[in-house]
Amino acid sequence: MVAGLCLGWMGVSYSALAQGGQEPVSLSVVTVRGYAAERFLAGQKVQPLDSATLAQFRYQSLTDLLALNTPMLFKNYGPGQLATVSFRGTSANHTAVLWNGVNINQPMTGLTDFSTIPVAGFDQLSVQYGSAASVVGSDAVGGSVLLKTTPDFRQNGLTFFAGHQQGSFLNRQSQAGARYSGRPGNQWQVSGKTVIYGSQLTNRYPYSERKYYYLEPTETRQRGLLQDLYVRNRQGRQFSVNAWLTDNDLVQAPADSIGRERTRTQNYRLMGTYEANHTTVRAGWFRDVLDYAKGDFTHPSHSLMDRLMTRVEHERGLMPGLSLRAGAEASHYRTQVDGYGGQVIQENRADLYALTRYQGPRWLVSANLRQGFATGYRAPFTPSLGGEYQLIRQTTWQLTAKGSVGRSYRVPTLNERYWINLGNPDLKPEQGLNAEAGLSARTTTAKPWQLATELTTYRNRVKDWTYWNPTRNYRVENLQEVLARGVEWNGSATYTQGHWQAGLRAAYAWTRSTQERVYDVYAQDVVGKQLVYVPLHTANLSAFIKRRQTRLTVQTLLNTKQYITFDNIQALPAYTLTNLLLNTQWQWKAVRGQVQAQINNVFDVLYLNVRRNAMPGRNYALSLFLTVNTNKNAKL
Amino acid sequence: MQNSKFLLLAGLAGLLASCQTKDPEPTPYESGILILNEGNFSQNNGTISYLSRTSTAAKYDIFNQVNTRSLKGGVSGYTEVDGKGLILVDNSTAGLDQVEIVDASTFKSIATLKTPDIENPRQVIRVAANKAYISCWDVSGDFSAGTFYKEPGYIAVVDLGSNKVTKKIPGIRANEWMVLAGNEVFLGSRYNGDKLLAVIDITKDEVTQKLTVGTNPRPFAVDANSRLWISSGSEMIRMNTQTKAIEARIAAGSDATKTPSAVGISPDKRTIYFVRSYYDANYNSKGEVYSFGISDATISTTKPIVNRYFSSLNVDPQTGNLYGTAVPSFGQAGYVLRYQSTGALIDSVKAEISPAGVFFK
Repeated sequence: MVAGLCLGWMGVSYSALAQGGQEPVSLSVVTVRGYAAERFLAGQKVQPLDSATLAQFRYQSLTDLLALNTPMLFKNYGPGQLATVSFRGTSANHTAVLWNGVNINQPMTGLTDFSTIPVAGFDQLSVQYGSAASVVGSDAVGGSVLLKTTPDFRQNGLTFFAGHQQGSFLNRQSQAGARYSGRPGNQWQVSGKTVIYGSQLTNRYPYSERKYYYLEPTETRQRGLLQDLYVRNRQGRQFSVNAWLTDNDLVQAPADSIGRERTRTQNYRLMGTYEANHTTVRAGWFRDVLDYAKGDFTHPSHSLMDRLMTRVEHERGLMPGLSLRAGAEASHYRTQVDGYGGQVIQENRADLYALTRYQGPRWLVSANLRQGFATGYRAPFTPSLGGEYQLIRQTTWQLTAKGSVGRSYRVPTLNERYWINLGNPDLKPEQGLNAEAGLSARTTTAKPWQLATELTTYRNRVKDWTYWNPTRNYRVENLQEVLARGVEWNGSATYTQGHWQAGLRAAYAWTRSTQERVYDVYAQDVVGKQLVYVPLHTANLSAFIKRRQTRLTVQTLLNTKQYITFDNIQALPAYTLTNLLLNTQWQWKAVRGQVQAQINNVFDVLYLNVRRNAMPGRNYALSLFLTVNTNKNAKL
Repeated sequence: MQNSKFLLLAGLAGLLASCQTKDPEPTPYESGILILNEGNFSQNNGTISYLSRTSTAAKYDIFNQVNTRSLKGGVSGYTEVDGKGLILVDNSTAGLDQVEIVDASTFKSIATLKTPDIENPRQVIRVAANKAYISCWDVSGDFSAGTFYKEPGYIAVVDLGSNKVTKKIPGIRANEWMVLAGNEVFLGSRYNGDKLLAVIDITKDEVTQKLTVGTNPRPFAVDANSRLWISSGSEMIRMNTQTKAIEARIAAGSDATKTPSAVGISPDKRTIYFVRSYYDANYNSKGEVYSFGISDATISTTKPIVNRYFSSLNVDPQTGNLYGTAVPSFGQAGYVLRYQSTGALIDSVKAEISPAGVFFK
């Protein structure tokens, strides 16, 4: 974790640790073609999660990973059930989730159910804090989650892997796949990966309630297929295809043939990319299918959303240190949703943007412009400006000051505009203005001590905040104005001595997010109140001790009380959650094995889901992951 | 008196053994008003607030204050039976509904009734000593498929001696409102297809008759002349409880799209109050409060008593004051507005989420 934080710092291309190993390996193949988009967000905080952490969460959903490693908050409906995010005091619609650079928030609801994204579904993850509309586009108001798949051209040959986790409550997860890389001719290189994964959360709790709070009987089945293929030649041309198919099937109260509810979500994500001469062309097809049924599952309410998108980007250096990226994106949406009254909704959206980045000896500055277009309304112009300056650059440590300001927006979701009776076709896009400033410091010496810390403060005002107005039977209106401000601190320390290593990573966030506009007589009771499900304080801590290949990790998460009503008269109580993980790995000929034992909710804490039913108590999981490399010369 | 004997003994013991006394259990909720806050269905955050008749501020979530745990669903009903309170709790997940039985004067939990005895509990009434009826819809299905209300619903018979459900009486679809008259309970329904009113003999715990009376029949009171009043669609129906004959169907105003949605009767059981409600073009609930006498041949809706919509209307049997509940939304506290029977506003008290009824004690 700690190493990843340091390596992922500005100025360095995306880096990752070799899976489970210690030595950093630069995945330079893709990044030499241009900066990753978030590199144009000078002055803003980007947190890459290292591969050792990703490996620890290999069988879990993105919810668990992010909750324990970032200040992102989740409205969690229970294990295997809907989990939506609140980032920096914003709502679930205000975090963009990008898969290989493309927003995959479901267009109907404008959000991502994080329980449907397993950590097994991507190779790299970073979290970008704060508004980033100029670079990311719509939805990036509170922040963005950036998921990526990456090729590995270095490792010739074929590597198979397979793993299984068995947990309490008859819960299990499995995955299997292969990575392959080779040179079919003198001119060409190929790299690819195929993965299938599946999980079955049966949640057979040995108890039906905890301290008088019920557990919800639910079952979730999840399946997925990933296929990545990259082909490049000596001239630097690269073709790639990325496909990700997912199927998430949740049944609540499965034993009750009348009251049971089934929510099935399927996603088809297919993208082709061509890169050459600093030009990137992408085309993608995204399909989201949502079926909901109660009692009788044979005739579900059906929603189908298709999106075709294409994007062309060109990047060039204008002068030493200064680069410009200009791009255009166009998307066509076609949806058929029962809730829209049977009508097929089609719309087009487009974006034009220009991003610049200047890197001087001590300066890093970026200035970006974006204009979005969409059928039926006018998206606001969203510029941003950010900079970083190295205040102190010693041989042993560095101190950098950061700052940025930018506008953001969110295109109204299809539900918000087209849902029968409640939707409002005349909605305006929300508009935000985000400003932030921070300091970051880190040591630059090698072992034994490595330290890093960062302090950020932000202020984000969102006007025309869209609101399913409960006083008007949940009709959608641009009623509110939300002011979110906060402070984030994180720090990490690693100490290495011989075969031993110990590390600590801590993060704290203070988030004050309030509704500011009086729009009716009862809004008096709501003005100035903290937004629901946003705790004022949240903290997480992860500590490990490691000897050779064996590592013991403690993860802790603390959330103070979360109000559940707009006037703050009711709240879910505060809780602290602690997990303990022990993992080790070994090598036997061409086989590498990794085994992990974990205890979740070590202290058997009672905490509640959004429906105020109990979350599970202490539980256990044991997992195994095997890798076989068929190339005898390869070093795993 | 059991209590004073205990106190005397305790006092003696205290003298002898340096104050081992225990104060008598305080009874903070002996009398006053309980506000039943339905909560927001998906959040399972129903509560009961307590309001004394002389106070203008409510005490919130008294079940949680006493028992240090919250109710786990919406509060759909409450009544008291011989010193015990029965709180109907409706959880948004099937199979998790329950009835909390508490000591009515302290609110301490005594017992909990659960699934499969209790499923979608709607209303509870006392029918005899230590005996209550709870109307239950049973498990609800898919609303859009028309299977939301199970056919039939049932009445859970509760023995407050053992705190157990002793019988489930098959009722009618979506059975909900109940009124006791003599040895019979009149049971209405929320389902507008059947138009049925069922009659239950409480000595046998059986449905003896099913009468077709009209849309969504809601029996709500027995008047001073022992007649049963039922609100149904836009009509008020007066029924002879002996013969079951409908004596009168009185239109509650001339506009059939505006229907009585909340009802109550005066302490002398001679005046009926109701909220006549409708939705405006912006999906807001609108309405006014009207009244009429039990012998009136027509109901005038020219001049409301209170020109305001309430989600429920309750008449204090001690004072005759009207308690209307106002719900701004399911996401913030509602209010209870108190009026004299003339319609003069007394005050307004902030309640909790979605106050949907008031219990007077």
